[in-house]
Amino acid sequence: MSASRILWFAASILVGLCLVAIWQLAADARLVSPVFLPGPDKAWAALERGIASGELLDKLLGTVGRMVWGWLLASLLGIGVGALIGISPAARAWLGPTLEFLRPLPASAIVPVAIAFLGLSEGMVLAVIGFGALWPMLLATVHGFAAVEPRLYEVSRALGLSRWEVIGKIALPNALPDIFAGLRLGLTVALILAVVGEMLASREGLGLWILLSARAFRAPDLFAGVILLGLVGFASALLLSAVERRALRWRLPPG
Amino acid sequence: MDSLALPTCEPLIRFCGVALTLGGRRILDPIALDIGRGEFVCVVGPSGCGKTTLLRLIAGLYLPTEGQVLYGGKPVAGPRQDIAIVFQDYGKALLPWRTASGNVSLALEALGTPRAQRPARIAALLAKVGLAQHADKFPGQLSGGMQQRLQIARCLAQEPSVLLMDEPFGALDAMTRQALQDEVLGLAASSGATVFFVTHDLEEAIYLGDRVVALKPNPGRVADMFEVRLPRPRDQLATREHPEFLRLRRTLFDFIKEAEA
Repeated sequence: MSASRILWFAASILVGLCLVAIWQLAADARLVSPVFLPGPDKAWAALERGIASGELLDKLLGTVGRMVWGWLLASLLGIGVGALIGISPAARAWLGPTLEFLRPLPASAIVPVAIAFLGLSEGMVLAVIGFGALWPMLLATVHGFAAVEPRLYEVSRALGLSRWEVIGKIALPNALPDIFAGLRLGLTVALILAVVGEMLASREGLGLWILLSARAFRAPDLFAGVILLGLVGFASALLLSAVERRALRWRLPPG
Repeated sequence: MDSLALPTCEPLIRFCGVALTLGGRRILDPIALDIGRGEFVCVVGPSGCGKTTLLRLIAGLYLPTEGQVLYGGKPVAGPRQDIAIVFQDYGKALLPWRTASGNVSLALEALGTPRAQRPARIAALLAKVGLAQHADKFPGQLSGGMQQRLQIARCLAQEPSVLLMDEPFGALDAMTRQALQDEVLGLAASSGATVFFVTHDLEEAIYLGDRVVALKPNPGRVADMFEVRLPRPRDQLATREHPEFLRLRRTLFDFIKEAEA
């Protein structure tokens, strides 16, 4: 079992390496002008240079900070409001249509509104991230709270649990798998909007770095930024999965 | 148990002309039924006869539309902590995200048992139902029989005066069912709790009960009652071969066949 898993893991690494090799070959053969497509060797060198000088590290921290704060903001709001709506059928009925109207609005459409109110500021970027990342969390939480097994409510009544105990000990843990699904989606959205926000509001970060590198035809720097962004997304998703596995270990198969 | 100072002849639970109409449909016709303190009453009848409804009326999960359910002389107004319910669908009644210990703990938390006293109480309760080895397992890792034992342990944590059991062993295999029947008899005898046991298994009803109440459907009403004069403690072989057991079994089978015809 574990031997085959190692084999699969090795195969997935191999596929990745092959893609990098193809990229290198394509760049060496000049299929695309090196002005636009540097080889992985040049991108890697730019990455090393940027990190050694500390410049890329600053941008990285800027973007990660924005993503995390925006995501936390959206999570707190989404889970809090989602819980309130999920618990009460009346709130669900009253707020449902409004939420369904707001939900499909692209976050980019909110940007001009946010700029009008908050200017080209850090707060504006956070507001846009918060708004965009809110919906997956909110809707998943509403669903998780609304989908409590009715039998558990009877058990709660028979045991004499208080209303708050029912919310904290029954409804919230019941919603946790849904909430984690929402957190994962929200994290992706937060990273996207952090980059877009930086580009629009000229805040120091990987997004702005990529934009400026492209404008200055510094293709290796551009690719270095893209690679770092990919790593941020990958690492944050991995971290969240680890937390999720721990929190939801009761869902693991027996044994 | 001592909190209700009543003459011993007074029943613990009394149905006074209790009828129930839900959504315009008559579920129960007026019912009169007394259940004595410490009595083990089994309820049988064809499906749709209101067995579970009677149980839910005692639990206070339903309130009668006519008449009153009296508990210790006072009308039942809602669920209370000294009446515990064992549901048939243990898979839905347990918290899947809590371990066996955590599920028992839920009842103690509801009772306001101080945190420091909980671990010892939980260990004792799990030991009582034979789950001491499985305290840290989640319900999903336990067999059906073990999950039902866990639910019983959680109910015992309430130290209930009344144990309501709604077809608790209906989903279990025959061997597990017999083992659990004997465990419940032992627990009822040692705690002195009054047990109201709903089942569709006539032999189970006779084997466990001091009395078997037979219901008739459409709408639900009490059709007959049978005293079970079999010696205790009961024994899976000797009791089931006892002439009185066989006589009651025949009577009840005839009754059910007639009720379903």
